[in-house]
Amino acid sequence: MTTPPVDVPAAAAALRGGAAEARAGGTDVMARLREGLAAPPFTDLHRVIGLRGVQWLPDGSARIGAMTTVAEVAADERLRAAYPALAATAAAVATPQIRAVATVGGNLLQRNRCPYFRSAAFDCLQKGGDTCPSRTGDHLHGTVVDQGAACVAPHPSSLAMALLAYDAGVEVEGAAALPVDGLYDGSDSTRDHVLEPGRLVTGVALPAPTGGESAAYRRATSRSRGEWPLVEAVARVVRSGGAVTAAAVAAGAVARTPLRLTAVEEALIGATGPEDAAAAVAGVPDLCSPLPQTGYKAALLRDTVRDALERALA
Amino acid sequence: MDTTVNGTTAHLGPDPETTAAEFVRDGLGLTGTKTACNAGVCGSCTLLVDGTPAASCLLPATALEGRTVTTVEGLAARGPHPVQRAFAAHDAMQCGYCTPGFVVEAAAFVDRHRAAHGDTEPAREEIADAMAGHLCRCGAYPGIYAAIAAACAGKHDRDGDAAPPRAEAAEKAAGRARYTTDIRPEGCWEAVIVRSTRAHAVVAAVDAGGAPHVDLLGADRTVRYVGQPVLAVAAPTPAKARAAAAQVAVDYRDLPAALDPATAHRPDAPVVYPARAERRAAPAHAEGGVPPARWRGNVRGPFSLNWRGATAVDRIRKAARTGDPLLVTGVFSTSVQAHTPLEPHACVARWDDSGHLHIHASTQTVMALAAAAADRWGLPREHVHVTAEHVGGGFGAKAGLRVENVAAVELARITGAPVRLVFDRAAELTDAGHRPGARIEVGLLAGADGGLAALTMDAYSDGGASIGGTVAIMGRLVYGHAPRRLRDFDVVTHRPPGAPFRGPNGAQLLWALEQSVDEAAHRLGEDPIALRRRWDGNPKRRALYDWAAALPVWRERSTGAASGRFRRGVGVAAANWIYLLDSSTAVDLVVEDGAVVAETAVQDIGTGARSVVAEVVRGELGLPAGRVRVRAGSSDLAYAPSSNGSRTTASVGPAARDAAEKLREEARRRRAGGSGGLDAAALAALEGVRVRGGRRRDRRGYATPFPLPDGGALGRGFTGAVHVMEVEVDTLLGRVRPTRCWAGIAAGRMYADRPARNQCEGGVVQGIGYALYEQRRDDPHTGAVLTSDLEEYRIPGIGDTPEITVHFHEEGWDHVPGGGVGIGEVSTIGVAAAVGNAVYDATGWRPHDLPIRPDRLLEGIGAK
Repeated sequence: MTTPPVDVPAAAAALRGGAAEARAGGTDVMARLREGLAAPPFTDLHRVIGLRGVQWLPDGSARIGAMTTVAEVAADERLRAAYPALAATAAAVATPQIRAVATVGGNLLQRNRCPYFRSAAFDCLQKGGDTCPSRTGDHLHGTVVDQGAACVAPHPSSLAMALLAYDAGVEVEGAAALPVDGLYDGSDSTRDHVLEPGRLVTGVALPAPTGGESAAYRRATSRSRGEWPLVEAVARVVRSGGAVTAAAVAAGAVARTPLRLTAVEEALIGATGPEDAAAAVAGVPDLCSPLPQTGYKAALLRDTVRDALERALA
Repeated sequence: MDTTVNGTTAHLGPDPETTAAEFVRDGLGLTGTKTACNAGVCGSCTLLVDGTPAASCLLPATALEGRTVTTVEGLAARGPHPVQRAFAAHDAMQCGYCTPGFVVEAAAFVDRHRAAHGDTEPAREEIADAMAGHLCRCGAYPGIYAAIAAACAGKHDRDGDAAPPRAEAAEKAAGRARYTTDIRPEGCWEAVIVRSTRAHAVVAAVDAGGAPHVDLLGADRTVRYVGQPVLAVAAPTPAKARAAAAQVAVDYRDLPAALDPATAHRPDAPVVYPARAERRAAPAHAEGGVPPARWRGNVRGPFSLNWRGATAVDRIRKAARTGDPLLVTGVFSTSVQAHTPLEPHACVARWDDSGHLHIHASTQTVMALAAAAADRWGLPREHVHVTAEHVGGGFGAKAGLRVENVAAVELARITGAPVRLVFDRAAELTDAGHRPGARIEVGLLAGADGGLAALTMDAYSDGGASIGGTVAIMGRLVYGHAPRRLRDFDVVTHRPPGAPFRGPNGAQLLWALEQSVDEAAHRLGEDPIALRRRWDGNPKRRALYDWAAALPVWRERSTGAASGRFRRGVGVAAANWIYLLDSSTAVDLVVEDGAVVAETAVQDIGTGARSVVAEVVRGELGLPAGRVRVRAGSSDLAYAPSSNGSRTTASVGPAARDAAEKLREEARRRRAGGSGGLDAAALAALEGVRVRGGRRRDRRGYATPFPLPDGGALGRGFTGAVHVMEVEVDTLLGRVRPTRCWAGIAAGRMYADRPARNQCEGGVVQGIGYALYEQRRDDPHTGAVLTSDLEEYRIPGIGDTPEITVHFHEEGWDHVPGGGVGIGEVSTIGVAAAVGNAVYDATGWRPHDLPIRPDRLLEGIGAK
């Protein structure tokens, strides 16, 4: 066994070549290990202090280290004030004992939750197979927005959705930063992110905060807590003189990637209160082309976004 | 690499695959930390890492480097943490398997809360948020809420005066209670079951690659579902056993499979049991034998129980022809529900030098398992020793001699070592039994006089490869003597077999029947409780209807369509259940070291069997809590019944009382003790005395003149329940939130009040799971179970728990010694229908299919 790296250059060096998978909190890697979807060697990042915590830059923007835990993002007072949609999303992820160890980087790079992918009993496009067994089988929790992929597993990262609503960037050691949506390719059925093996995500960079933003995160689930969303949405609005001047709306669990809903954003301009939300989301189902079992998600997407908007506009 | 665990430095090994949970449990022997889901969902494995709760089943052990770890054992290093006292005092547990995880999380929450807010009670929602990552399958959430709130308010900083209501509460809260999964004798080997990857095939050959193994296939060498055990291998370590299992080569000759119960009846469907001998050997999901019926392909039945059946059919046909508005018809369906106790099925077997067989098992039938093992391995019964000191839940799935017992015992014989076999969660959710699904066609006609004129029910049970549906025929036992035709069918498929599950068949029946009765009340324009009171002749249940009708939530409910996004509704459902007992039950009392020790084989699966015995002995002999101990969960002790069929309390309670009376007689004979309780002097005089109490016969005897196949008897009288459920329906996002529930239970006198309430509360929680979340889903093409972890298979959490009020109607059981009978089943079977009726009340849309998922609710109310 090699000694775990203690700084970013050593971590990047250990990962180089792609033989070892990076392991942060381990919540996804260890679950995949059990199903034979991950295997040692791992490069453990827990000693890399430099990947942890939030840095505030002179322009007031924040840079969040990849090894910062989801719980830390949710609890950080300054992040909550500056990026309320991100903090609210982080607070809703998983459960307290998972948030305590799961990291920002791990959340962005986690693999999907499709039971066919997760089960060793099935082959699938993400495991080198040539068909998607979920598409022809059970896909009750599958995608409803078609991005051209045969795979129907929705993207699992709630933080990616929130970061998308902030136009955040993803920093990669030894490479140019990517916009969050550059980390994903919805038409690619073989993987859940496009980061090349051997690369290390070091953090996410948020733009300078927008003052006076109000935000809300909502997820539709069957139980009250501790459940992956059927649909999730996050909304940010900035108002001036009572009317919305800028809005950012994103949704998750509906497509192979998190989605920005730009048409909703445009329709919100000038909105003054929660009563304007319904009209702004009316066209959302038109984005959807449901699978046989995901028809419900078209209206649920619209209504989850509406719920988030009504709260953000309240 | 080092870490600090409970104040002591411990060395971390280099294995990158070892989890923190494995490190503390297997490496350090700190078995208070449990692993149940192994997927970061259930929280049983929660540790404090630098004071913060973390799920340790997904945490690499290497990540503990340089950290400070506290396990449940460490929490109590300087006396119990207030939360541990509070959990014991409020009976915030049943089987106790999830308890250490809850306690660790709650300790951190309570400390945090008190530091920030002083000794104040937090809001219910704050507790739910903090405990969101913990699951309790028994549903002991109301006690957990109460315990955490009280600990936050500083009410448990010192030991209380009163003994906890549950005899073993302190052990469970401290993580000291030992379950079968915690047993790992010196030199123990590990066994792994290799399971079929095919839904239907003949196994032509199996190559175990030289590993010690035991074949688990039947004589026909046929596998009939994905997940069926093929063979088990053993190796000296878990990792080696897994590797050995991966090396096993199975040569399958694939056969076509019937995977869809909706089409399995068709003539072209592959037949699961073509030959008569195979049909006879089909596994049953019913308790106590399966009634005979004929087969047609994959359909078995009908098995009918009619009362003027032709009249019933005539009346319903005529009403249909004439469009009678008082005819209620509907097709209801229920989902396949997994038991998924948090302690998985587990067995540790060992043969000793004198040929005795020692079995530790997570079982709800210690005595039946010992008897079956003796039979199978040709041993005198007294050479078999089954131990189940603590059992982490069962709900019906852990009965008799099961595959894990057979495999462990055989492999122990082959290897000459103790062998341990523990199901993983996928096996637990696939091949540990389930409550079969059902499709139920109902015709229910109310007469112009407001009476029940006719009832017809055809039920098609979907128990995979198993048979035993008696859903419809149980409708014979309710709502008087109106004409009725009740027919049961089994539709078998190449899918995993079911097992008895807490109120077998009853939950399916009531989902359909109690909603149909509700609909009849609406058609008649009558209060649903008043209608039931008229139709239901049972006097005990009538008392419950009077209680329910007087509840403010019922009297003040608004009727008529609600509007707005969040809609409140109130629903009611009644339940009826048989009373079983085991008249061979015995309890021994022995006076040891100045205390009375009760000895009985009975296993405590979380139902409080120990507490019943302790409470009776304490009460009868006037002893303080510290002077009574209970030794239980061993086949070497006095005979006690299985923990199924709600029979334990009605059997063990009277036997304990009889034993106490005998000890009192002995005291009188020796002139020890006065008219009051036995004091220390009396106990000293009785030191070493041993008496045995038996289960006295009921007055008027039993409904069954001879013992049932499992040794029990069907007693006279029915237990009853009436549940009133209030829900709030989010019509935008499709979620049903149960807000308050009143559970009225008529089962006579309660032996141990708080554990009994706890069990009824858990019955509500499980019923809510059945109503709203729980559904096994399979791949339609392969038959593989997709809901094979606790993320996909959704059981209720603490935040899904309504405020529950339990009401006991304690009269009507004077013919039973002790005056009370069991509550395990009657307390849960009607709950889902109460939820369904409440959803109807809230939305005007009646759910027909379980579970009431958001997509179904939104579709249903959208179509209205």
